[in-house]
Amino acid sequence: MADSQTLKQLVLGRKDVQDLSDTEHDLPPDLMTVNMGPSHPAMHGTVRIVLTVDGERVVKSDVHPGYLHRCFEKESEYATYTQIFPYTDRLNYVSPMINNCGWAMVTEKLMGLTSLIPKRAEYIRVIVSEMSRITDHLTCVGASAMELGAFGPFLFFLKAREWLYELLEKVSGARLTHTYVRVGGVSKDLPDNFAADLTHTLDETVKVMVEVEQMLNGNKIFRDRMAGIGAMTREEAIASGCVGPIARACGVDYDVRKDYPYSVYPEVEFDVPLGTTGDCLDRYLVRIEELKQSISILRQCLKQIPDGRIMVDDPRCSLPPKKDTYNTIESMIRHFKHIVDGIKIPAGEAYAFVEGGNGELGFFVVADGTGRPYKAYCRSPSFVHLSTAGQLIQDHLIADIVPIFGMINMIGGECDK
Amino acid sequence: MAQKVLDSLTAQHAAAIEHTESQHGDEIAWVKRDQLLAVATWLKTDPTMLFDAPVFCTCIDRLDWRPLGVPPSQAWTEDKPRFEVCYQLRSVTHRYRLRLKISVPESDPHVPSLAGLWPAFNWQERETFDMYGIRFDGHPDLRRIYLYEEFVGYPLRKDYPKEKRQPLVRRDDLPMNPIKVAREHK
Amino acid sequence: MSVTGAPPTQPPAPAPAPTNTVTLTIDGQAVTVPKGTNVLEAARTLGIDISAFCYHPGLPIVAQCRQCLVAVEKNPKLQPSCQQVCGDNMVVHTTDKQSTLARKQQLEFTLVNHPIDCPICDKAGECTLQKLYFEHDNADSRVDTPKVHKNKVVDLGPTIVLDQERCILCSRCIRTCDVVAGQHQLDFAHRGDHEILTTAPGEELDNPYSLNTVDVCPVGALTAKDFRFTMRAWELEATPSVCNGCATGCNVEIHHKNGRAWRLVPRHNPDVNDYWMCDEGRFTYHDLREERLAAATVDGLPAGWDRAIRAAADRLAVGRTAGQFAVVFSALHTNEDNFALAKLAQAWGVSHFYVAGKPPVPARADGRLRVADINPNMGGVKAIAEALGITIKPVYELEGSIRGLLALGDILPGVDPAKLKELEYVAITAHERGPVVHANVALPTAAWAEASGTITNNKGHVQRMHAAFGPPGQAIAGWEVIVRLAQATTVKLAWTHVREVFKDMTAAVPAWNKLTWAREARPLSLRFAGSRG
Repeated sequence: MADSQTLKQLVLGRKDVQDLSDTEHDLPPDLMTVNMGPSHPAMHGTVRIVLTVDGERVVKSDVHPGYLHRCFEKESEYATYTQIFPYTDRLNYVSPMINNCGWAMVTEKLMGLTSLIPKRAEYIRVIVSEMSRITDHLTCVGASAMELGAFGPFLFFLKAREWLYELLEKVSGARLTHTYVRVGGVSKDLPDNFAADLTHTLDETVKVMVEVEQMLNGNKIFRDRMAGIGAMTREEAIASGCVGPIARACGVDYDVRKDYPYSVYPEVEFDVPLGTTGDCLDRYLVRIEELKQSISILRQCLKQIPDGRIMVDDPRCSLPPKKDTYNTIESMIRHFKHIVDGIKIPAGEAYAFVEGGNGELGFFVVADGTGRPYKAYCRSPSFVHLSTAGQLIQDHLIADIVPIFGMINMIGGECDK
Repeated sequence: MAQKVLDSLTAQHAAAIEHTESQHGDEIAWVKRDQLLAVATWLKTDPTMLFDAPVFCTCIDRLDWRPLGVPPSQAWTEDKPRFEVCYQLRSVTHRYRLRLKISVPESDPHVPSLAGLWPAFNWQERETFDMYGIRFDGHPDLRRIYLYEEFVGYPLRKDYPKEKRQPLVRRDDLPMNPIKVAREHK
Repeated sequence: MSVTGAPPTQPPAPAPAPTNTVTLTIDGQAVTVPKGTNVLEAARTLGIDISAFCYHPGLPIVAQCRQCLVAVEKNPKLQPSCQQVCGDNMVVHTTDKQSTLARKQQLEFTLVNHPIDCPICDKAGECTLQKLYFEHDNADSRVDTPKVHKNKVVDLGPTIVLDQERCILCSRCIRTCDVVAGQHQLDFAHRGDHEILTTAPGEELDNPYSLNTVDVCPVGALTAKDFRFTMRAWELEATPSVCNGCATGCNVEIHHKNGRAWRLVPRHNPDVNDYWMCDEGRFTYHDLREERLAAATVDGLPAGWDRAIRAAADRLAVGRTAGQFAVVFSALHTNEDNFALAKLAQAWGVSHFYVAGKPPVPARADGRLRVADINPNMGGVKAIAEALGITIKPVYELEGSIRGLLALGDILPGVDPAKLKELEYVAITAHERGPVVHANVALPTAAWAEASGTITNNKGHVQRMHAAFGPPGQAIAGWEVIVRLAQATTVKLAWTHVREVFKDMTAAVPAWNKLTWAREARPLSLRFAGSRG
C-alpha cells in the first residue's frame, strides 16, 4: 500500500507516465469520509451529507438538515394568523400558493368556516395551487435533468416556469412569495383576461413538455442513470411516511386530493399516476404525468369557475371596504382589530393538510382564543422524504446520489422550516 | 369522523387510555406513557386498525396555556403536566386518522420511542427532542437534528425567549490569521 | 386534559353545598357561586364573556351602560347581569336572540356618536369598546348623519386630559374618584346626546389617585398626560412586579418595550392594593432611566468588573482588619440583596450594621394606599436583621470611628459628605447620584424593575418582583455583586441564581419558612392578552 506521500509524487510530481501501474500502486482500500454539502451545486437547498465511501460506493451516510432552519414555528407563535401567510410562502418556495392554501385551510377548520368559503374563492385557490404545483414539478424535473448533464430540458422548463411566474405575478403581485390567500378566501380577484392568458400559457407549456419528453424519455443516458436507482418498496414507503410523487412512484395510491378531498377538487376530474418500482425513473414519470393532470385540472377550472365573492362574508375574518374604514367607526374598529389583534380563533386544535408539490403538507395548529396560534407545526413532506435519503443512497455510487436527491425534491425551506 | 377507532381503542386498552375526544373532526386519544408501545403496536398490527402510515410527531408546551373564552380553570397550572407529545397516525387501508397524546411532566421528560415501529418517527422524534427536550427512550440515534450540537437550551419551549442569542462556537481546528498592523508610537 | 370546556349537555352533579352558595344555570351549564355574586361574575367563571362597560369589580355597581343585559327566565324584561344577584335555581340565557340583539343594539347606540379616532387615540389596542364591538357585534353602521361634537382636549387637572366625544358615559371614573380617593371631583352635566363628563362644580381632578381613572376608562376619553402619544399599547409587554414607591407595595405591571419601561399600571391584589395605586407610584418608572450607573467605577473613573472588585476588596480590607468597618443595608433593595450582604458581612466579622432609608413623609398618610414610610422594604431589612441576630441602626447614627463603608443603595441620609471623603466607601448602587459620587468604588447593580426578588411591605407581606428587562451596561443583580466581592476576599458564597439566595434566606427567617419561589414570569405581550379594562 503506497503511503500518501509517494502517491502525491506519482500524481503531481515529475515521474513518467509508464511508471504508473494499477497493480503496483492501488488506490488505498480504506474507507473515506467525504462531506457533500451544505454548499454543493447538487444539494438543493443546503443539506449536508457526511458520506463514508469505499471508492465510489456509499457505505454509510449521515444526512444533516437544518442549515435553512428559520424558526417558522417559533416566529408563528408571535404573529397573527394573517401575518403567518408570508412565512408559509417561504416553506415550499417553489409552490408557495399551496402552502398558503394549507395554512388558510387549517385556520378555517378551527373557525368552522370550511364549508362557507365562496365557490369562486375556492376555484381561485385551486387554480393558483395547480399553477404552483406545475412550477414545482417543472423546477424539480428540470433541475434534476440538469444535474445529470441535460442542460437543455432545464432551460426549456424554466422558460415555461417563467410564463407561469409572470401570470402568478399578475395575480398576486409577486413571482414567488405571493401571500395571496387569506383566511376565508383570497386577497384579490383574478386579473382581467386571466383565463385567456392562462390558456395560452398552458398550450405553450404543453409544447415545451412534449419537447422535453422527447429529449429525456428515450434518452439512454438519462434512463441508465435513473432506472433502478434509489428504489423503495411500497411497504417501506408507507412506513417511512413517504407521500406525494415519491410514494405514488412506489405504487402507494395516496393523493390527498382524491382520498381526503378538499376545496373544489371533487368537482374536477383527474387521474392519479402510479409507478411500480419506486426508482428515480418512476418518480420522474409520475411527475411528468402529474404535470399533464394539473394542466387538465386548470383547464376544467377555467371553464367551471363561477362569479361571486372572493372572501367569505363573515366579519370575523374579512376586512371592511376601505371607504367604510375611514368613514364609519364600526369599520374602523373592525379593520383595526383585524390588523392589530388578528383573527381570533377559539381555543382548540386541528390538523389540516393539502396535496403539496411533495405530498401531504399539513399544518397542526393549537389555538387559544387570541389572534395568534399557540403552536403552529408544519408537517413537511420534504423532511420525511429526506429521512429516507440515507437509506436510499446506501450501496449506490456517489454519482447516483445526484438523481436520487433530485428526484426526492427536498425543498430546503420546507424541510428545515 | 372515525369514532369507531376510539371506541375499539378504549375497548381493547381501557387501562391505557386516559380519555378520548374529537375536535374539529380529528380523533384524539390520550395514552398513558408506560402503555404507549403496547397501544402503538396494537394500532399498527391489528387487522381492524392497520395504522401503517405515520404522519407527524410533535409536542405541545402548555406553560403559557391561558385560553380565552373557556373557564379559567382550564388554564395551565404548576400541578398539571407541562408537555403533551402528539403522534398523528393514518391507516392506508381503512383511511382512519388518529392522534395519540401523551402527557409528560417537566421533571421527567421521557417518552418511549416509536421509531422502531414507524421509521418516519426517527427524524421527527429527533426534531421534538431538539426543539422541546423530550427524550425518547429506545431511539436509535437521539441527537439534535436542526440545530448544532453545542446549542444550549430547547428553543420551542415557551420559556426560551425568541430573541435569545447563543454564543459563537469557537472552531479551534481552523487556522486563525489575525491581520497584523504596524503601529507607530508617536 | 381537555382543552375545550366541559360539554354543555352534562352539568356536573351538584354536591351538597354549604348554605352560603347558590347554584344556577347559565346557558345550560350549572355553576355554584358564593351568595351575593352577580350573574356577570358567575358567567365569567364558566368562561362566558358578557359584554359590559360600567361594571368594575372594585367599584359600586350602577348598571348604567345597559351593555350586560341577559335574559333571566320568569322575568319578562332583560336584566343587567352586573346588578342581578345570582339566585338559587335561576336560569339565565346569554345566547338567546333577544338578549344578544339587545347587547348588539346597545353597542350600536354607543358607537353612533363615537368619533373615528382610533388611529390617534391612546387607548387603541386596549380599548374595551373596540374589543366588545369586534367580539359581540361586528355589524356595519346604519347611520350617515353627522356626529354630535363636544370638546376634545379638556384639561381636567394636573395629570389627565379628557376627550368628551369619546366618553361613553359609563361613570367608572366618577365612582373611582369617589371610592378610591374619597373625593367627588368628576360629574356628568347636561343630558341626552349632549351629556358630557366634566369636573364637579368648583373642583379640579387633582387627587393623588387620579390616574386610576385612566385605567378604568373603557375608551380613550381620559388619557394620562404622562403617557399620551408616547407609546402604542399593543407594542408593550407586561411583567408583574411590585411598586417601590412606598411601604404599601402595590402590585403593578411594568409595561415595557425593548428594555425601557413606559408606564406602570396596578395589578389586582385583594390583600394589598385591590385594583388601585397612587399617582406617585406610577411615576417611579421615570427613575429607572435617570443617572444610572452603567459601569463599575474606581475613584470616579469607569473600570472593568475585575479591577473594580479587586479595588473594592483592597480598600475595604483596611477598615475590616481594624474593626472599624460598617455595612449599610438598603430599605430600597430586595430581601435577597440585603440577605446576601448580611451573610457577607457576618463572614467578614463586621460588627457595625446600619440601614439607609428615605425619611418618612407624614403628609402622605391618608388612610388609603399611601403611607408615610416611602421605603419599599424596611420591613424586609428588619426581618432579616432580626433573624440573623444583627442589630441595625439608622445610618445617620454612623459612628465617627468608621474607616470603611460598604453600602447598598444610593442614599446615606444624615451622613456628612465630608465624612464620606475621609473613609473608604464602596457603594453597590443602581444610580450614580447623592453620596455615590464620593464613593471610592461604585459597583453597578440592577434597579427594582430589573431585579428578580422579593420585598416585604408594611403589613409583612413578602411580595415577588419579576425582572422586566436586564440592567443597563454592565450592571448585575445586587446579590451577584456581593458574591463577586465575596470571592475576592476568599469568602465562599455559593449562589448562582437568585432562587438559591431565596432558599437560604427563607430557611433563615422563621416567618418566611413556608414561602416558595414561583417560576420567573415572562413578559406578556399586551397585543394578544385581551384588552385591559
